[in-house]
Amino acid sequence: MASLDDPGEVREGFLCPLCLKDLQSFYQLQSHYEEEHSEDRDVKGQIKNLVQKARRAKNKLLKREGDDRVEPGTQGYESFSYGGVDPYMWEPQELGAVRSHLSDFKKHRAARIDHYVVEVNKLIIRLEKLTAFDRTNTETSKIRAIEKSVVPWVNDQDVPFCPDCGNKFSIRNRRHHCRLCGSIMCKKCMELIGLPLANKLTSASKDSLSTHTSPSQSPNSVHGSRRGSISSMSSVSSVLDEKDDDRIRCCIHCKDKLLKREQQMDEKEHTPDIVKLYEKLRLCMEKVDQKAPEYIRMAASLNAGETTYSLEHANDLRVEVQKVYELIDTLSKKILTLGLNQDPSPHPNTLRLQRMIRYSATLFVQEKLLGLMSLPTKEQFEELKKKRNQDLEQRRTMERQAALESRRKLEESQIGFAANGEARSLRGIPAPLRKAEGWLPLSEGQGQSEDPDPLLQQIYNITSFIRQAKAAGRTDEVRTLQENLRQLQDEYDQQQTEKAIELSRRQAEEEELQREQLQMLRRRELEREQEQFLAASLHTRTRALDLREVIPFQLEPSRGPHSDLTYALDQDSSPVQSSTVPNTLSPASTLAPIHLWSGPPALGQELFLQNTVSQQSDKTSLNPFDEEDLSNPAEASPAAAEAFLGPSAPVTREYNPFEEDAEEEEAGELGAGNPFTDPNSPAPNPFDEDDRPRPASPSAPGNPFEECPCTNPFEVDSDSGTEAEEHIEEELLLQQIDNIKAYIFDAKQCGRMDEVEVLTENLRELKCTLAKQKGAPN
Amino acid sequence: MNVVFAVKQYISKMIEDSGPGMKVLLMDKETTGIVSMVYTQSEILQKEVYLFERIDSQNREIMKHLKAICFLRPTKENVDYLIQELRRPKYSIYFIYFSNVISKSDVKSLAEADEQEVVAEVQEFYGDYIAVNPHLFSLNILGCCQGRNWDPAQLSRTTQGLTALLLSLKKCPMIRYQLSSEAARRLGECVKQVISKEYELFEFRRTEVPPLLLILDRCDDAITPLLNQWTYQAMVHELLGINNNRIDLSRVPGISKDLREVVLSAENDEFYANNMYLNFAEIGSNIKNLMEDFQKRKPKEQQKLESIADMKAFVENYPQFKKMSGTVSKHVTVVGELSRLVSERNLLEVSEVEQELACQNDHSSALQNVKRLLQNPKVTELDAARLVTLYALHYERHSSNSLPGLLVDLRSKGVSEKYRKLVSAVVEYGGKRVRGSDLFSPKDAVAITKQFLKGLKGVENVYTQHQPFLHETLDHLIKGKLKENLYPYLGPSTLRDRPQDIIVFVIGGATYEEALTVYNLNRTTPGVRIVLGGTTIHNTKSFLEEVLASGLHSRSRESSQATLRSASRR
Repeated sequence: MASLDDPGEVREGFLCPLCLKDLQSFYQLQSHYEEEHSEDRDVKGQIKNLVQKARRAKNKLLKREGDDRVEPGTQGYESFSYGGVDPYMWEPQELGAVRSHLSDFKKHRAARIDHYVVEVNKLIIRLEKLTAFDRTNTETSKIRAIEKSVVPWVNDQDVPFCPDCGNKFSIRNRRHHCRLCGSIMCKKCMELIGLPLANKLTSASKDSLSTHTSPSQSPNSVHGSRRGSISSMSSVSSVLDEKDDDRIRCCIHCKDKLLKREQQMDEKEHTPDIVKLYEKLRLCMEKVDQKAPEYIRMAASLNAGETTYSLEHANDLRVEVQKVYELIDTLSKKILTLGLNQDPSPHPNTLRLQRMIRYSATLFVQEKLLGLMSLPTKEQFEELKKKRNQDLEQRRTMERQAALESRRKLEESQIGFAANGEARSLRGIPAPLRKAEGWLPLSEGQGQSEDPDPLLQQIYNITSFIRQAKAAGRTDEVRTLQENLRQLQDEYDQQQTEKAIELSRRQAEEEELQREQLQMLRRRELEREQEQFLAASLHTRTRALDLREVIPFQLEPSRGPHSDLTYALDQDSSPVQSSTVPNTLSPASTLAPIHLWSGPPALGQELFLQNTVSQQSDKTSLNPFDEEDLSNPAEASPAAAEAFLGPSAPVTREYNPFEEDAEEEEAGELGAGNPFTDPNSPAPNPFDEDDRPRPASPSAPGNPFEECPCTNPFEVDSDSGTEAEEHIEEELLLQQIDNIKAYIFDAKQCGRMDEVEVLTENLRELKCTLAKQKGAPN
Repeated sequence: MNVVFAVKQYISKMIEDSGPGMKVLLMDKETTGIVSMVYTQSEILQKEVYLFERIDSQNREIMKHLKAICFLRPTKENVDYLIQELRRPKYSIYFIYFSNVISKSDVKSLAEADEQEVVAEVQEFYGDYIAVNPHLFSLNILGCCQGRNWDPAQLSRTTQGLTALLLSLKKCPMIRYQLSSEAARRLGECVKQVISKEYELFEFRRTEVPPLLLILDRCDDAITPLLNQWTYQAMVHELLGINNNRIDLSRVPGISKDLREVVLSAENDEFYANNMYLNFAEIGSNIKNLMEDFQKRKPKEQQKLESIADMKAFVENYPQFKKMSGTVSKHVTVVGELSRLVSERNLLEVSEVEQELACQNDHSSALQNVKRLLQNPKVTELDAARLVTLYALHYERHSSNSLPGLLVDLRSKGVSEKYRKLVSAVVEYGGKRVRGSDLFSPKDAVAITKQFLKGLKGVENVYTQHQPFLHETLDHLIKGKLKENLYPYLGPSTLRDRPQDIIVFVIGGATYEEALTVYNLNRTTPGVRIVLGGTTIHNTKSFLEEVLASGLHSRSRESSQATLRSASRR
């Protein structure tokens, strides 16, 4: 609202009396007051009182209970419950006590880990030394010498039994030394480390030491898993007995440590598919969380008719968000089917995980997508803007009136005060005192001096006087001043109450009015939209009207009042219908409804020709009389003359074209003299009928002279054209239905129940038409 | 003082602290129950917790792309399982939370098992109790006492649960206990001991009025758990049984498959939240409204499916639609079953007599009514036994006590010996000899006039006249009139002001009727917050089991046999 205000304009609305901030609504004003100005106790009480009273009065007037913006029926299931918790229980409750053992834990772990890490690092350094030279091209004895230099070997004599399996060493069961720690074991307990594995382990440490050296891993060093490396090694070791040029002997303990290390390295590098997909999924969700609120803000603002955001931008954003939703859907589907086709089917837990991710993604989409409201179409948006401006205007005038009223009252009351001796003395006391020892009204910030309400200002002054008097210890003065203050406050209170009641009454009326207008607007909007379809029909319609206008004048002047209908038509045609229907007997008057009905068929055709309704046609449709009036009478009056002068036959012929059934029209010209007897005759409301598929009947009712050139093309069309026409019209209808649904949604959101009813009615009718239409082209 | 919220906050904090990424929640049997009371699956899914595993389950796969949040009770077995888990970690990183105080030595052995440095957090989060309602918690212990004394294992569990509750609510209370109960004193001492041992944990910001922990014993009021209930939650528990918010409906005739077990949780079922404290008649009309609402919606949805736009709208509304249809069918089934049981078991009549036995002092009419109902074939074994038990409790020392005759009637009705024995067992458990206070005759003048007026006016609802004894106790406590000779303080200090934050714990189990009383007291007395807890939440059946488990019937066997003998002699 503020954005629309010109800077220099007089500010009105729900202004905060203290800081003149515009706060759009009672509730906001109240909350603002409580937040910002809670230190000013006296006045706060007043204002609070006022607000409460006003609200109460308003509720009473509107016969509503509390804040009923949410309709009671849906409230029960849509709003989230507090889970049976009474509000008093919801005092802010902090997280319960916690105690961390992490530091303790880390201390103990560090001791253990240090030892472990040192051990592993030692092994890796030795491994590096063992693989630093070209093993295959070096003599065995030389290798042994190098190996012995890396780690001192345990004396053979010291170990009579294999420490791992306990077998006695003998000539057959020879001792083997671990090249990494120097310990002794039997051949069965001996493990081997292949060069690839060794390279992989050492290269990682080299990497970590000097980050610039590229990993010198051999391509086959990346083993799939630890099991793979073991099996390949043991199979090789059985073939090659003693020659282990490219392998290093070690004990099972060293090997175990190294393998653990390798596994850790693998895990660091490897990210499974599910993680990659999942990360993408989360990214999308974050995006939605970011964008959706923005969009909802936009849509809400646009649907309220505000112009803060552009419609195109909002539409783009909507499309974008929807795309992300689709992406989420596909990603989660992918996760769901991950590894389903693999031969060893995944562990049930993996599948469970995948199912759960999919489920939660679905929940996410369902929940969030539901919140995405639809945007108004361009036309709707224009309408909304207009409506909003009207509302604003109305409110402004209302506020202005209220302000005037209150000012007037204030003046009155001040006069009353002035008449009252006490008030005079009240004003009088401080004045003479002021110079010598008086109490100066303290300005307490927030511009009370600009306080629009003099009474309020007076209260302020007196409170500050009291304070000063108290400070000065003048109790008697304090007492009189307090008495004054009380009276003033009472007066103010009463005044405000009156004002509030007045205000709320007016507001209630205003709301009533607005509601009515809104309803009107909506109806008109609908009609107008249909009028777009009707664009062409207006030609005929005006013509028809003119025709009718002429006829009564020429022949039956007493029927003159009918001409009013022409103008009424645009607004509301159903009364026209009902008023004319009984007059079927008179050919002149029956003409009117018939002509009216000839509109729709022309609509379809004209629409085809123009394809989409341009602004121009909009214009013509809005004020058809301006343009058409000039040309039509000339056309119409002869037609009318002819129609009446001739015997009844031409008249009947004239009727025929408007009949619903094209075949009948072609077949029996004489058959249907009265279209109202037609079983298919539509409901009296022509607007409901507008969208009804009707075979294109000749739309030149008043032109028997030009019969051939004018009617023929339409007649030709009538058969072939219906299908296409129907198709389009069906689409239009559907679109219309959608629009109305959007309105209903909108209205529900804003709690305008009566509107919802009207709209639902409309929707039902439209659907009815749609169904009929579907049924019609048997 | 919202226990549901307190536990929920703990769980949320755990999940939050573990950061983004896929997570698995590792729990034990008890913590599974604790978590399930405050979080629904879909709610926790939104926080990226996709798997729920038991720490003792063997069939867990290695999933290094998952983070593990372990929420465990600090038991020996759990620590052992965890050590095994850490030696061969299945997940990439572990956030470990214990639901109670864990010993330093356990922390050390865990630390030494963590060679691969997968543990990122070790904390104590004191969510060590079942949060049933915002003001009601349970420990799900059935049979906490042996005779009049604690089962030691249950005493330590109860102490843990109670101290965890205090810590989660950040209360360091003064303790009062029921003098007539040795168990209450023991528990109070244990709690006090823990508080002084873990004094640095209990150092909270001092409130003006310190919170109060009142420890009671079920044996002081054996009447309440014996009555039929008519408010929704209590009634469901009495007739169908609620176990961790779950209701087993598999015995309901003609039940559909997906309704065999339903969840009644006020946290995510609005209808239940709004109706759990209403009486049966009101629920009937509310259910009708719910149905009508549902029907109003249902055909509209179906009829609307004419175009693609309609379908889209339908799909968009679907989750809500589905949720609502689930709610409707659930509550319709439950209420339907309740009303079936009510008519099948003639519960209206039974309940009327129960209330008469519990609240009025007209011996002859009560006896007559009990005798009449015992002849009624519709009255079940359980209801017959409970009527006689109520009679036995109320007119235990009445001059013309005709309990032996009633026991004979029970036998001739074909009531099994187990139930007949229970009559005397309950008297032994909660009879006059045991009770520290008088359940039936009002003591002070105010109460007497109150009852007199009640008699004049007639009662509003004959089925709900009974007020649990707890109401009087709490009422006195709030007004600062609770007698110190009956409910002494533990330790030297006493409360000078009226208490504000009150935690009541009932050894031997609380009831939903008492929960309702506490709920109403919370609502009607501003400034006072009461949380009720019990070793369990009883219905009549579980209460009788509790009495059985305490083993008191053995001592009373002779007396019951004596009465039988005297009856047969007649």
